[in-house]
Amino acid sequence: MSGDHIHPEPTSFLSKYVFSHDHKVIAKQFMWFGLIWLGIGGIMAMMIRWQLANPGMPVPAIGEFLFPRTNGVLDPATYNTLFTMHGTIMIFLGLTPLMIGAFGNWCIPLMIGARDMIFPLLNMLSFWTVFVGGCVGFYSLFVPMGANEAGWTSYATLSTTVGAQGLGETLWAVAVFLIGASSIMGGINYMTTIIRLRAPGMTWGKLPLTVWALFLTSVLNVLFIPVIGSAMILLFLDRAVGTSFFTPASLMQGGGGGDPILYQHLFWIFGHPEVYILILPAWGFVCDLLSFFARKPAFGYRASVGAMTAVTVLSAVVYGHHMFTTGLSPMLGESFMLLTMIISVPAEILFFNWLHTLWKGNLRLEVPMLWAIGVIFVFGLGGLTGIYLATIGTDIFLHDTYFVVGHFHLTMAASALFGTFGALTFWFPKMFGRRMNQTLGKIHFWGTIVPLTFVFCLMFAMGYAGMPRRYFDHTSAEWLADLQHMNKMATHAAFLLGAVQLVFVYNFIKSRFWGPVAEENPWEVGTLDWSMPTPVPYYNFKEIPTVHTGPHEFSHPALGEDRDWIPMTEKLPT
Amino acid sequence: MHRLQTLLLPRLKSCAALLALIGLTGVARAQEAAETVNRWGLGEPASDYGYRFTDLFWLITILVGVSFVLVLILIAIPVIRDRARPGHKASFDHGSSLHDKQVTTVISVITFLVLDAWVLVIAMQDLREAYWAYPDGDDEGVYEVQVLAQQWSWNFRAAGADGEFGTADDILSNSELVVPVGRPVSFQMTSKDVIHALFLPEMRMKKDVNPGDLNKAWFQANRSGDFTILCAELCGFAHYQMHGKLTVLEQDTFNEWEQEASKLALAAFDSEDTESQWAWDWEQ
Repeated sequence: MSGDHIHPEPTSFLSKYVFSHDHKVIAKQFMWFGLIWLGIGGIMAMMIRWQLANPGMPVPAIGEFLFPRTNGVLDPATYNTLFTMHGTIMIFLGLTPLMIGAFGNWCIPLMIGARDMIFPLLNMLSFWTVFVGGCVGFYSLFVPMGANEAGWTSYATLSTTVGAQGLGETLWAVAVFLIGASSIMGGINYMTTIIRLRAPGMTWGKLPLTVWALFLTSVLNVLFIPVIGSAMILLFLDRAVGTSFFTPASLMQGGGGGDPILYQHLFWIFGHPEVYILILPAWGFVCDLLSFFARKPAFGYRASVGAMTAVTVLSAVVYGHHMFTTGLSPMLGESFMLLTMIISVPAEILFFNWLHTLWKGNLRLEVPMLWAIGVIFVFGLGGLTGIYLATIGTDIFLHDTYFVVGHFHLTMAASALFGTFGALTFWFPKMFGRRMNQTLGKIHFWGTIVPLTFVFCLMFAMGYAGMPRRYFDHTSAEWLADLQHMNKMATHAAFLLGAVQLVFVYNFIKSRFWGPVAEENPWEVGTLDWSMPTPVPYYNFKEIPTVHTGPHEFSHPALGEDRDWIPMTEKLPT
Repeated sequence: MHRLQTLLLPRLKSCAALLALIGLTGVARAQEAAETVNRWGLGEPASDYGYRFTDLFWLITILVGVSFVLVLILIAIPVIRDRARPGHKASFDHGSSLHDKQVTTVISVITFLVLDAWVLVIAMQDLREAYWAYPDGDDEGVYEVQVLAQQWSWNFRAAGADGEFGTADDILSNSELVVPVGRPVSFQMTSKDVIHALFLPEMRMKKDVNPGDLNKAWFQANRSGDFTILCAELCGFAHYQMHGKLTVLEQDTFNEWEQEASKLALAAFDSEDTESQWAWDWEQ
């Protein structure tokens, strides 16, 4: 039962590094893939910010090369493509592969004491499917008649042939479908692995919270990605075959007729859980990292698990809050408002547990810990501002303004990104056997959190002042032109934020190849992944370990003076 | 850190010069910018129910602000007080005792009641008394407007002097809308092509305009003047240019304008021009 599916270690380059079945290699593939896309999405964000602050001015440095026909100036269609693909790339190709692909693969087998994922071939297919999806998405930028310009939500009928003639939108649907298929493969694999391959003694109550979070993420992936998958199939049929699932009868030449609102329901039934797909792994990292670096047990382990489970369940029934101005019936609107408020309760419990874990700890403020505290900060800001949007009275005005942009960037983008940085800096020594530079890490942290908070909080002010999102040029309408100073400020801060990421790139690449050799357990943590030698051997565990202690037994009174932690494989002294 | 110092110290002078330069250009820029008006907030609402948004917004802001400051304090205290140092040990606490559970539950319930339930009750009131309290079609004085959105302009239709939609004296306008002050203005809206959203920021009104479906919305202006019409739902590459002008007139001026406009519409009516003959029976 305990992961005895030993297959021989491959020797050829292709089967060892490219089409590898080894979860550790696949994790690194996902990691590099995600990091590259994160960079591309980030450059797109910089171009968007440039245009908003300086409408009609040529994009510096890369503009001449990317848009030669307009001498480097963005046109409205390209601008729409940029924010569409920025969203799509960051969500589906940046954060998802990094958090779930890379750390799901790295953490799950090592932390539960398994030799590999339960379905190694499916695991490999999962990476190569998202890879193909990414290629299709990238190719869609260069097809005749234009890339997707309908936003990452791609609402019908703007995304059907009524609003978009080009091949780009069709390829986008194919790409999202493929990426979704990859997530489903990963989800099934993770769930089955966690259920079936836990080491003896690794009960559900002893799982590190990272693994719990990844398990719940997988549940969401398997339940809700099929919904976006079916929406994409219907959209594809509408575009390629001429069906009319999302086009109303009044717009159909030859009969038929569907409903554009159906697309919104399908999209958000998936779309809201997707927010939690991105945030749950970050929550898991934070739960563990806070305990590891505060040298204190995670406060209220069971309550945290319960809260994350409650969020997973409730996430299915709150999606209507994205559609308050769509014209939902008042009864539906009020129900979704109430349900959305209820989902804040488990989030609050989780929050208290984090703050409690810090309280009276012995805080080692190393880089991963800074990122974990950073998540509390940005998620606090983002989560609290969610109240404005859950409340229909204020949402009517704030919907589709920059307030929403600021809110979701803080909740799911910044929190997920900070969680990813926390995980990257935390597991780096085990993944690559080297240490990252701490000073550069701290510069990167402070250089990120300060401008990032400034940019997205400024967006709250913009939204309150009534600035709509997805506008190519806010100066075109008189009422918005006097808000341009805020756009300029946000752009300056965003450029600073972008520039600071180069510190991370430098630190990451330099440490990967030339960093000082790391100890085997530099953070003094007891979970199974840190009990391994570095580099981790091909089969992970020569003998499957037996677990006796929970993952967070720090500063246990019975441990004595010389160390404040205990490996999960040891029994607590009595 | 030491390497960074050796790198920076000899260059301190040039660093300072650079900073001064950035500062000076900043000042120059600020002086330039001072000539244009920089708006930060949101002006007074121009509709009867507009104050509800402002009130609720600032109530939530106070609640959220206090909560966030509390969170910051609760992060700052352990970060300052409980830093790792030799001889210092963390307290050992799983937070799984009955007492801990009770505390967590009580705090959650209180937060829910204060942050969520309070706001929810007010929001429900606002919805029932204002945003969703659509004026009854039989009410005297309701000014009815049909909206047909298209890429990228707003087509408005008012019933004109005869009070009937779909007749020759309907007042048609493009991206400009004239309404009376102090009377409910009721919209029925649909779209020719993609989804748009009618956004009247000064009125605090926003509603999606969907193809193949009639959506409704309403507001009542509390003062006359010129206001803004924006599109809030991405509708293609000229989405940002789909704005217009909303003029609110005093009742007397409005009546004169309506008669005049209706007369002009009758004179300009062209039965061949089927494109402009969209209209529907007002749905109650």
